[in-house]
Amino acid sequence: MGKTKIRINYSKCGNATGGIDPRQCSRCLYICEPAVFIRHPALKVKEENPYDPQYWQVTPVWLSLCTRCLKCVKACPQNAIAITW
Amino acid sequence: MCKWCMRHGAGGKWYLNARNYSNELAESMNLQAYLEEQWKNFEQVYIRKIMGISSIDLGNKLKMPIIGRILRWSVERMIHSESLNRNPVRADGHFGQVIPIEEAKLIMMNLAAEPIIKNYCMCRMMQKGLKDACCINFGLLSSVIEKLPRFIPENSKLHITREEAVEALKEQNLKGRIATVWFQPVPYINAICSCEVPQCGGLRLRMDFGLYTVYKAEYVAEVNSDLCQGCRSCISRCQFNALRYSPTLERVIIDPIKCFGCGLCRDVCPQKAIILTPREEHPGLKGKY
Ligand code: SF4
Ligand code: SF4
Ligand code: SF4
Ligand code: SF4
Repeated sequence: MGKTKIRINYSKCGNATGGIDPRQCSRCLYICEPAVFIRHPALKVKEENPYDPQYWQVTPVWLSLCTRCLKCVKACPQNAIAITW
Repeated sequence: MCKWCMRHGAGGKWYLNARNYSNELAESMNLQAYLEEQWKNFEQVYIRKIMGISSIDLGNKLKMPIIGRILRWSVERMIHSESLNRNPVRADGHFGQVIPIEEAKLIMMNLAAEPIIKNYCMCRMMQKGLKDACCINFGLLSSVIEKLPRFIPENSKLHITREEAVEALKEQNLKGRIATVWFQPVPYINAICSCEVPQCGGLRLRMDFGLYTVYKAEYVAEVNSDLCQGCRSCISRCQFNALRYSPTLERVIIDPIKCFGCGLCRDVCPQKAIILTPREEHPGLKGKY
């Protein structure tokens, strides 16, 4: 299997970039069996309280483990996930 | 764990050496600021750079011909780093080992430094979006996590007693999670987690990429073929696919190479057919963690 590319549209998901706060959704994280995604404090944003980050993002980090089942694409309420290979 | 026991075990297992739990050690290593830096944005650890290369898609990068080998070497070096200029945001020097429940109990009752807390598991939150209060942290790390609202459980108390910690770990074991004990950073010990494949960050790197973030236990399970009745209760307990029911033999067979020695299968066997035996006494497994 070649490389899988997963793109998140951060203007739809990610509250530092105009999208929703992924902490309110996280469907993709939950539904993905090999657990390809992680949810993390957004990089390069100024947090008011660094101990309590408020800007969050989802990143598909374990791309080599994606089985291309496309469940995440179908589950995403924002239509924010695109997968190509 | 040969190397780490030799370096930090004072003649025994590294996680049974009281010094590794002591406040004096944490202070001498200046860990307050280090752990705060690490935990503030711990979820970013898998998207940071290693050797100037982003760790996103580490799996494919490790497969690259030459760079992959160098990357693997440098990730291993980072995970096990004892250097003075460790980088907290990459979680340098942070690795652990599987332990059976009786050793988790021993640690919580006799070795762990107070205060002891039970907080939301960072891995499950990061990889599944779930809030699961199951991580037992202690000593200096407790005072660090206390400052981070996202890890503080909403429906259970944060500070717990030694006995409550043991109960919590047993409950997790019963659910099917395995106990693991962690250097953070080596040689300071401050956590016992209840892990599950694939949403545990440490096991992810070990199981999917062969990196030594989590070592197998000092034990390996052995099935007594005379006692096993083939009920199969043990099989669903194993996260490592080490057990299989053989229709020919009408009993369970074990692959000792796959076994991590967690003891979960043993704890449910109605025939008491499974025991844990020391890894070092097993000629084929000696030194294989
Ligand atoms: S396609 Fe399937 S395996 Fe791949 S990221 Fe989406 S849910 Fe996970
Ligand atoms: S399912 Fe879509 S909207 Fe929800 S967290 Fe994932 S990417 Fe964001
Ligand atoms: S639980 Fe015990 S008796 Fe049942 S199959 Fe496993 S080893 Fe055999
Ligand atoms: S065979 Fe038993 S002891 Fe070994 S990893 Fe599986 S559940 Fe744990």
